[in-house]
Amino acid sequence: MELTTPGVATLRRDPDQRALGDAETADAALAASGDGRAFERLYRAHVARVHSLVRRMVGPDSADDIAQDVFVRAWTKLGTFRGEAAFGTWLHRLAVNVILARRTTLGTERGRYVDSAEILDDLAGRAAVPELSMDFEDAIGRLPEGARQVFVLHDIEGYRHEEIADMLGIVSGTSKSQLHHARMALRRHLER
Amino acid sequence: MNDQWTERLSEYLDGELAPAEQTALEAHLASCDACQATLEELRRVVTNARALDDRPPAADLWPTVAARIGLSPRSQSRPMVRRVSFTVPQLAAASVVLALLSGAAARVMVRRGTVDAPSVVISSPALLTASAYPGDSRYLAQVADLERALARGRGRLDTATVRVIERNLRIIDRAIRGAQSALAADPANSYLNLHLAQEMRRKLELLRQAATLAGARS
Repeated sequence: MELTTPGVATLRRDPDQRALGDAETADAALAASGDGRAFERLYRAHVARVHSLVRRMVGPDSADDIAQDVFVRAWTKLGTFRGEAAFGTWLHRLAVNVILARRTTLGTERGRYVDSAEILDDLAGRAAVPELSMDFEDAIGRLPEGARQVFVLHDIEGYRHEEIADMLGIVSGTSKSQLHHARMALRRHLER
Repeated sequence: MNDQWTERLSEYLDGELAPAEQTALEAHLASCDACQATLEELRRVVTNARALDDRPPAADLWPTVAARIGLSPRSQSRPMVRRVSFTVPQLAAASVVLALLSGAAARVMVRRGTVDAPSVVISSPALLTASAYPGDSRYLAQVADLERALARGRGRLDTATVRVIERNLRIIDRAIRGAQSALAADPANSYLNLHLAQEMRRKLELLRQAATLAGARS
């Protein structure tokens, strides 16, 4: 999948932001030439965001493995980073691609492709019983795969429906529908 | 509650309905308490999602990553050079990037000593350490004041503006935590110190702009 710039929110870049972006671009150039320290700086700066994205998209069990895959993949693809977008934006889109490439395998391994409507109903009703209430992040993790991925990409990561549809190979109407059902399920898990 | 408009509430919330549909839904909302309640819950779900904090992995993944890409974590003081070649344009581009970086860093350092520098920035470059900023009471007080001012005026901003502000604050907070985490392992690293200082200034400036905007709408 081609690496493109996602529609993440940005503010006008001030001089300090440009300095940070330039620093990361310089580190990316150094890392592309084999500088391990430069690549470690990039890793340290972005690992929390990448790991959180992976954990939310595929669950905690495989998060470490896939997050490692993302950085290994980034190392091998550094030569394609042109500095047209921020390094974090480039890495984030690469992470999404790695996650999506792994999703079919993971889905098969875990038997996740079960009836989505049934799970959404279960999730929506569960928190009505206080002792069964769960953390909001846990509730996201229990969403059916399609709804969870759309919710994470749209509401947490800020991608637009058209971008999500392109990434997931669906139409934007499906993305909107999945998002709505995910939100309807998750509203039961809001803090009182 | 499950009327014809229920399925459209998320699209309404995201501003994706056609004008005519939006008008019709707003007319419906005025007379439907159930849809109003659901809309508010959906709004809170979105707010919760945007407020989620990123967390690093429980264990440091770097040693494994380094091993997989052929780097020895103990030998990185001597960068391993991969077999790679550069064209003249690539080398020229890299030199421009490095020149820009040097210039920007110098500009930041120079500005610390000018009237343009934000008043809450630590007064001396000598104090530009990881521990100085988080523990600086003036900085923390300024942030707290601005956050309170923003909270007071938040209702005057439209949701799209609030969304952008919150998203960018999260990005900045993430960068601050990343810099602090990296500095814990390498406290003397001047690049990381500069990076942390920049991020904290960014946060202050964004809060200042947002609070000003919220105040201007009163």
